Amino acid sequence: MSAPALFDVIGPVMIGPSSSHTAGVARICFLARKAFGERPEKARVTFHGSLAATWRGHGSDKAAFAGLLGLHPEDERLSFARELAAREGLVVDIVADKEGGAHLHPNTLRVELEAGGRKLSISGCSIGGGAVRVENVNGFPASISGELDAVLVRHRDRPGVIAGVTGILAEAGVNIATAASRRNQKGDEALLVVELDGVPPGSALAEIRALPEVLAAVHLPSVVS
Amino acid sequence: MRTAFTSSAELLELVAADGRPLPEWMVAREAFMTGRDEAAIRDEIARRLTITRTALARGFKEPQRSLSGLTDGAAARLHALAEPPVRDELWNRALAYAVAINEVSACGGRIVAFPTAGSSGIVPGLLWAWRDEREGDLSATSPRLQDAVAVAGAVGAVIAARATLSGAAGGCQAECGAAAAMGAGALAWLSSGDPSRVFNAAALSLKNSLGLACDPVAGLVEVPCVKRNAFLAGNALVALTLDSAGILSAVPFDEVVSAMKAIGDMMSPQLKESAEGGLAMTPTGLRVKAAMEAGFPDAPRS
Repeated sequence: MSAPALFDVIGPVMIGPSSSHTAGVARICFLARKAFGERPEKARVTFHGSLAATWRGHGSDKAAFAGLLGLHPEDERLSFARELAAREGLVVDIVADKEGGAHLHPNTLRVELEAGGRKLSISGCSIGGGAVRVENVNGFPASISGELDAVLVRHRDRPGVIAGVTGILAEAGVNIATAASRRNQKGDEALLVVELDGVPPGSALAEIRALPEVLAAVHLPSVVS
Repeated sequence: MRTAFTSSAELLELVAADGRPLPEWMVAREAFMTGRDEAAIRDEIARRLTITRTALARGFKEPQRSLSGLTDGAAARLHALAEPPVRDELWNRALAYAVAINEVSACGGRIVAFPTAGSSGIVPGLLWAWRDEREGDLSATSPRLQDAVAVAGAVGAVIAARATLSGAAGGCQAECGAAAAMGAGALAWLSSGDPSRVFNAAALSLKNSLGLACDPVAGLVEVPCVKRNAFLAGNALVALTLDSAGILSAVPFDEVVSAMKAIGDMMSPQLKESAEGGLAMTPTGLRVKAAMEAGFPDAPRS
């Protein structure tokens, strides 16, 4: 492997004590909250593997509360995020699944959010040094690092949707770093994940939402400051 | 700009061909790789340095106590020691500073993973001790202190390229061991400005932490991590001292890093951050684990 960038060695800026069990959890839960787009009424976070064993000592629960409150992973309020959540009426059910998940990465968590009948389920793993990978969004396989800004588009699997989305981003002058689309089956619902080299303007999001066959579109901000 | 390197030899060739000093080249490389300008990179280094200084001050001012009780304000006691047995202020400050920053990390404060959270006190502890003892006019916005961070980053980047900076993959030699090598290199730069001495000091330091196990009690980043930050800051200062006397590492840095990788691959997974071996499996370690699983019933509640 070639040498990484300077700030991959000296960083991230984070709330201790563990880059994989605190910073990584805060990042995944922050991404889940942004993907959901609003404060959930009900939330459940399930820790698997090594996280299930050590979450208490590593403040992984506080990290989860902070992320679900929409606090940036660098925000020091993480250390009293449980109290903040209680004040805001956000209830999060923390589940440690020590037995299951043997086939998963040892630092995997699952985040399930619910509000007004809408549901979101995200699974991700903390792969070391605070880096994360969101691997599943509502049953669709994905690979989102959170390093870059991204747009998530839920759409019907019809010709031209992806071209419509990328065309709007091109018009807005935002470069696409990666793009991946997954569908359940032909013609059914699909999820398009586009990672960007910049912040997409709100007007571009509105245009994407107005495209025919688009069911929803959200902006996932970068977790890196 | 050519940014790829996998060894210190390759890095130093690139830097020599470029003509700029090592840290300036590292900053230019970062700017090139991320599409930002060099001033923005330096601002970000300054921001990260400031975060470490804030953590350091906090570690002394508010003695840190963790939920497990394993972290209990050691830095404040170290800093208050009236007659330290080793009478050198750079040495004493470095040890206390490293522990202060790492205690803040262990207790959920804001830090910079340097290169990891568990080793986060070593490099900034050394840099701020040097600043306070040797060059009091330096601050986070001084290019010279930022250069030292860039040099530490260069050493860490070579270790990441040839081995790993993850305890789960390579044991603690890859975390605190790597941090000490980075810190030794940064101080060698500050004291000499010579890139070959950077990697000699780093080689001397890293050789002395090869094989270090990552066996944290109850999987918490506290024992042996917090106190090890002091020990490994000391390791870096010994390397700096030897290097200053012109003592060369018989095995060059790149080969030491390759040896570190080989040792990491040979180490049992039980000694790589799994909390299934070593100190984690002692009677004391198992008692802490049981207390954690019961939710730390004896911990003070805020």
